Amino acid sequence: MPRSSTATRRVAAALAIGLSLSLIISGCSSIKSNPPQADNNAQDNRPVQNGGTLRVALAGEPDALDPTLGRTLVGRTVFTSICEKLYDIDTKLNIVPQLASALPSFSSDGKTVTIKLRTGIKFADGTAMDAAAVKASLDRHMTLAGSARKSELSSVASVAVTDPSTVTLTLKSAFTPLTAQLADRAGMIMSPTALTAEGDKFGTNPVCVGPFKFSLRVAQDRIEVVKDPNYYNASKVHLDKVIYKIIADSTTRMNNLQSGDVDVYDTVSTNDIDALKGNSKLALLVSDSLGYQGITINVGNVNGVGKPAGTLAAPYAGAMATDARVRQAFEESIDRATLNKVVFKGLYQPACGPISPSSPFSSDAAQACPKYDPNAAKALLQSAGVAMPYKVSMVIGNTPDASRLGQAIQSMVKDGGFDLQLVPTEFAASLDLTDAGKYQMFQIGWSGRVDPDGNTANFLTSAGSQNNAGYSNSTMDKLLNDARAAGDVNTRKDLYGQAITQLHKDAPLIYLYRGQNFTGVAKNIVGVQVFPDGLIRVGTAGIAVA
Amino acid sequence: MGRYLARRLLESVITFILVTIVVFLGIRALPGDPARALAGEESDPATLAQIRTKFGLDQPIWLQYIKYVNNALHGDLGRSSRTGLDVSTSIRHALPVTLQLAVFAIAIAALIGVLAGVVAAVRRRTAAEWAANGVALLGLSVPSFWFGLMGILLFAVAYPLLPASGFVSVFDDPVQSFRHLLMPAIVLGSGLAAIIMRQTRSAMIEAMGTDYVRTARAKGLGGGQVVFGHALRNSLIVVTTIAGLQLGGLISGAVITEQIFVLPGFGKLTIDAVFTRDYPMIQGVTLVTATAYIGINLLVDLLYSVIDPRVRVGGAAL
Repeated sequence: MPRSSTATRRVAAALAIGLSLSLIISGCSSIKSNPPQADNNAQDNRPVQNGGTLRVALAGEPDALDPTLGRTLVGRTVFTSICEKLYDIDTKLNIVPQLASALPSFSSDGKTVTIKLRTGIKFADGTAMDAAAVKASLDRHMTLAGSARKSELSSVASVAVTDPSTVTLTLKSAFTPLTAQLADRAGMIMSPTALTAEGDKFGTNPVCVGPFKFSLRVAQDRIEVVKDPNYYNASKVHLDKVIYKIIADSTTRMNNLQSGDVDVYDTVSTNDIDALKGNSKLALLVSDSLGYQGITINVGNVNGVGKPAGTLAAPYAGAMATDARVRQAFEESIDRATLNKVVFKGLYQPACGPISPSSPFSSDAAQACPKYDPNAAKALLQSAGVAMPYKVSMVIGNTPDASRLGQAIQSMVKDGGFDLQLVPTEFAASLDLTDAGKYQMFQIGWSGRVDPDGNTANFLTSAGSQNNAGYSNSTMDKLLNDARAAGDVNTRKDLYGQAITQLHKDAPLIYLYRGQNFTGVAKNIVGVQVFPDGLIRVGTAGIAVA
Repeated sequence: MGRYLARRLLESVITFILVTIVVFLGIRALPGDPARALAGEESDPATLAQIRTKFGLDQPIWLQYIKYVNNALHGDLGRSSRTGLDVSTSIRHALPVTLQLAVFAIAIAALIGVLAGVVAAVRRRTAAEWAANGVALLGLSVPSFWFGLMGILLFAVAYPLLPASGFVSVFDDPVQSFRHLLMPAIVLGSGLAAIIMRQTRSAMIEAMGTDYVRTARAKGLGGGQVVFGHALRNSLIVVTTIAGLQLGGLISGAVITEQIFVLPGFGKLTIDAVFTRDYPMIQGVTLVTATAYIGINLLVDLLYSVIDPRVRVGGAAL
């Protein structure tokens, strides 16, 4: 099975060793940009039989299968089978047309976007996918009560049908990341006939364009999709059916893959990697991740997220919130390479910023990494005039992985002069606390977006909808807003680099590591693809001829 | 009788109302905003406000409660805030899974427990009794999640004889249903088997020393006839009572078993709903559970009154 070959892994290992050595030698470095790694077995040349069922063990229960309302990553995986988008990404994170016939063209002021559509495409219900359907879908995304797409399309003022295969979007202001938004759920086009019939219950019987069409859903158990004969590329679809089984526990997913009860294991636990590699009947797919895990520090979230930043009161106030030197000291007390090695067996990548090295918008500045130096950290605390050990608390998940991570950080920062108190909290409860600003530090991550705007602006601008830190810096606001409006990749890359330099100075967020997308697949399956967006694509997968 | 019936019905209605209030307030007392849980990582204040409006979470609690009860009385338990699926339909799919699992588990527990109990009672102070006691001790001591995982590793991974997960209804395919439910039922029934074994053993020891058994032996009946035809038959009364009392515990235990074997049953539905703060689903499952318990209790009380007239007379005198 041609996937990540041994040679490739050796090169990756050598790169990792080299990176570690350079960190040690220089005491400060950046994380190098590598070509994005998107592992798949799509290039497998073995003949594939037509027919059969693929069983995919998902790590969680998708929410509503409605592109307008959907919010979960596992839901996006199911959508790859049943709901295509105007645009998609390729293995190198380039945006490519899917239901559109070409990339969108922007007017010189960036406020008018013209989208040309492919013709002759039909929805699963046999009706035509045309400009009217695109308008109906985008309008619904922007107006339906509870729409999760509303904020993603907030830059769009109106959608107009120019002709049956052309749609024109008028924007309120130039917004370059729009193309990336249309390469995700905001770009999914739904059958107007089904929308009329189902209304806000569309998610119980979704009808879009895709290699498969929705067939059945049993709550907490499974979602079944079957081959769609109306699909424009139906001749390349081999499987008759895909069953997405919901198996939240990773050990159970692994057992099911080993026993042959499922064919694909979504989100492999790092504890199962060795067993997967050692099993001749199974293969491990590895791809980079766009997301990150980090620590959000409450620097001004006084009255809750979305409210103006202010000065914290007891018990959350302190030098950690008011003095950037204390936050820098905390960051310099963390040895990311060791953290990755100790907690995650070295399987993840240390991260120092919100932009993945795989991103076309990555740069040396974006990957700059504050050095690990506990003595320098103590010196910073001394200069800030705080007594050591400096006591600070961190809200963290209550899972075994989170506990191990928290304990490792707790032990490390002790050398840097900190007395870290861990506050293990159930996830939903932790969101309550941190949204309300009732915390000092919070360990949380982000699944990542293709466009760096989705990984930065919401978290780091003063008015950002997910600015839980209560961080407000006009320089940062300007840099990120300019990057949003700029059309040129190099200009944006430069602006994001500057923003991250500023980020390291202010340190309202400390980035720790970037995961990898690990997917387990039975060796008799061909054509499963996992891109850095973490979605499992099975549209052209099949069962190898024995 | 009519007055007794009316009083018990009234008590049941009051209990039911109290249960719904406790559940309704209890889940809202849990830390964790359902709108936030629903919004996932892409939350912003405007979206959260929209979600709250859509699901009526921004209304006063008393109004939410009245609407909920009103809808429930009209047979509408609402739609899951997470999946958008109909709560009644989800419960209708999940209940038969748990019931089939529980019935199978009781059958297995009774089979193993009674046989082991008889052996332990008849073969006292022999290796057979020690073995039976040892098995009972294991059944009570070993945590079901560990037992389940070991079972999967042994019988699904190392020796792929049984499926590691999933459910097939006995009405669709009895053979596949048996294969899918065998391991979960053994895991779920192991604790109950141990209890039944111990009860059977003590009841059998007592029965074997009674006059009617001695008489049966004196009449020349064979060992098997005496044990199974006389002693066991009388001992089973106690055993059956114990098994019945354990049914509630068995359904609670199904929560863990359903998670391990990925059975889409009632327990899994409940747990997943709690973790995702899916209020309509939590309310739906607790309502159905409360109704079942109240209904069964009412039925039992009424049966008592039929069997023993003193019950209803006592009730009337109060």
